[in-house]
Amino acid sequence: MSSNVLQYEENARAVTDLPADVAVHCRNVVKSYGAGSSKVMALRGIDLDVLKGELMMLVGPSGCGKTTLISVVAGILDQDEGDCRVLGKNLRALSQRDKTRFRGENVGFVFQAFNLLPTLTAAENAAVPLLINGMSRAKAVERAKAMLDRVGLGDRTHSLPSQLSGGQQQRVAIARALVHDPKRIVCDEPTSALDHETGQRVMHLLREVALAEGRALVIVTHDARIFEYADRIARMDDGRVERVVKSAKELGHE
Amino acid sequence: MNFVAIKMLVGDRLKYLALVAGVAFAALLITQQASIFTGFSLQIGQWVRDTSNGSFDLWVMDDQVEFDNDFKPMSDTALQRVRGVRGVEWAVPMYKAYLRVRLPDGTLVQSRVIGLDDATLTGGPPQVTQGKLADLRQDRAVLVNEEQARSTLRLRRGEDRALRVGDRISVNDHDAIVAGFYRANREFFWDPVLYTTYSRALSWAPKERKLLSYVLVKVAGGEPVTDVAARINAMSGLKAMANDAFDRTSTSELLSRTGSLVNFGITIVLGFVIGLLVAGQTFYTFVLDNLKLFGALKAMGASTRTVMRMMAIQVVTVGSIGYGLGLGAASVTGLFFSKAGLAFNMSWQIPLAGGVAVLFCCLVAGLLGMVRVVRLEPAVVFKS
Repeated sequence: MSSNVLQYEENARAVTDLPADVAVHCRNVVKSYGAGSSKVMALRGIDLDVLKGELMMLVGPSGCGKTTLISVVAGILDQDEGDCRVLGKNLRALSQRDKTRFRGENVGFVFQAFNLLPTLTAAENAAVPLLINGMSRAKAVERAKAMLDRVGLGDRTHSLPSQLSGGQQQRVAIARALVHDPKRIVCDEPTSALDHETGQRVMHLLREVALAEGRALVIVTHDARIFEYADRIARMDDGRVERVVKSAKELGHE
Repeated sequence: MNFVAIKMLVGDRLKYLALVAGVAFAALLITQQASIFTGFSLQIGQWVRDTSNGSFDLWVMDDQVEFDNDFKPMSDTALQRVRGVRGVEWAVPMYKAYLRVRLPDGTLVQSRVIGLDDATLTGGPPQVTQGKLADLRQDRAVLVNEEQARSTLRLRRGEDRALRVGDRISVNDHDAIVAGFYRANREFFWDPVLYTTYSRALSWAPKERKLLSYVLVKVAGGEPVTDVAARINAMSGLKAMANDAFDRTSTSELLSRTGSLVNFGITIVLGFVIGLLVAGQTFYTFVLDNLKLFGALKAMGASTRTVMRMMAIQVVTVGSIGYGLGLGAASVTGLFFSKAGLAFNMSWQIPLAGGVAVLFCCLVAGLLGMVRVVRLEPAVVFKS
């Protein structure tokens, strides 16, 4: 194809040379912050693919670029250089408005600090992505309740976050991440605020429920206890992907 | 997302109450002070409005008179000079001055005495409630304000009672009899006002060369009032003013002399500024406390427009509730003011202007917070 056709295709639809099962495709992704002497290279040429139906973990020391990478992959930040396509779309080519809409329709988020709105009930919190996408309140809450039931909180739909344990709050967050049927879930340290047992239960839930519809899950974590749940683990250091392994054992963690 | 905005707002009870209280206080100060000022301003020219009542067209007075309680009498010849001006259908005299009144119990009260033209009694009180205006032609008769009969002219030494019809008083050491009562609106100068006839008033007044306070003029049909006024001024050197002009002049003169406009204005502006500062500071703190949540909403796909709309809803909600409470409180104080006879007039323009001021205050208060959220990078949610 000529470069002109490729340029058009970038904005519109899936690139024909990417396999259909690739949810996230990064090639030589570079991202920096600041300028001049205070410039910080957060990503120094990331090459990484995440497949549909796969749970990919990003691990590495603090400051290695994990959070920046998931921000780029989630469509929150634009990379400076390189190619990053999500579900076939070059997000950098989209307008801010289209990018926001894409995120709202295709990405689910699970945050480290849960980020539940303290004054909304569990059902109302879980319904937020649907409300953002314009669904009516009654319908959104009804769907949220169904999702809460799937994550085992069907009897706590009217509870406020302050009335739920940490594990329960994270399950509400997972329900929120799934309620609008996104193609990708991005999780930032989903178990760091939880005890071991609760963390295991949350990861089990993520694998059982989140991956069930062929979604891609990208999880940033320091928690070696949950490495066993990953299909692949990408170890990062100093803004680069050092290696991608299939088990914690290969990474040197038992 | 509208209900999410409201729930976020009211969920933080302390800040919500502080916001509403700040706005309510601003609304109370703005509307109450504006209403007091309006009532106060209306009271200034009240006697002029009550007296004119459509029965005559012009007030003629000494050229140096600045407001209605400014006593600068003219010579008697002024009446004839005015009557001789083309366009004057008729002209009658009026006396107005402070005289010393002794009540039956011996109390001395400085009172305004109004002497009405003997023949026509033009310029009398707006409503006679006991007796008749014509009773002024009875020997030594005076009409007294019914409210003042119960208050400032009340008998307190010995017997404690209101002044009654038939009571004998003395005006400047001359005998007078209370012949009846009248009702009038509160004035700025709320000292006692007694009505009697012009000739009787002159007989009571201290002997001076000039005693004529006003000439009240009825303009001939078809003649423009302003033209006749100008003619009177040109031919007699006296000041001639239409009823509304005299009202306005008296009001503006007293407002500027007392500095009331500036003082009330300062209070109103202070109310606005305080409301703005309290609401602005509280709302900004609210936004800072919820910054991560706003960031999470943006990360999850809420557009800047959606987030701005949420914040606008929060600001308008607080503004509406605060304004309603403030206006309600101002209205309640107005009820008490009115019952006590104090100046308070909440015309429809005041709540409207107050509402606009409060809305502006809230929007400006919310602006800083909105700017902060608009500039917020959604990636902030990934920072622990």
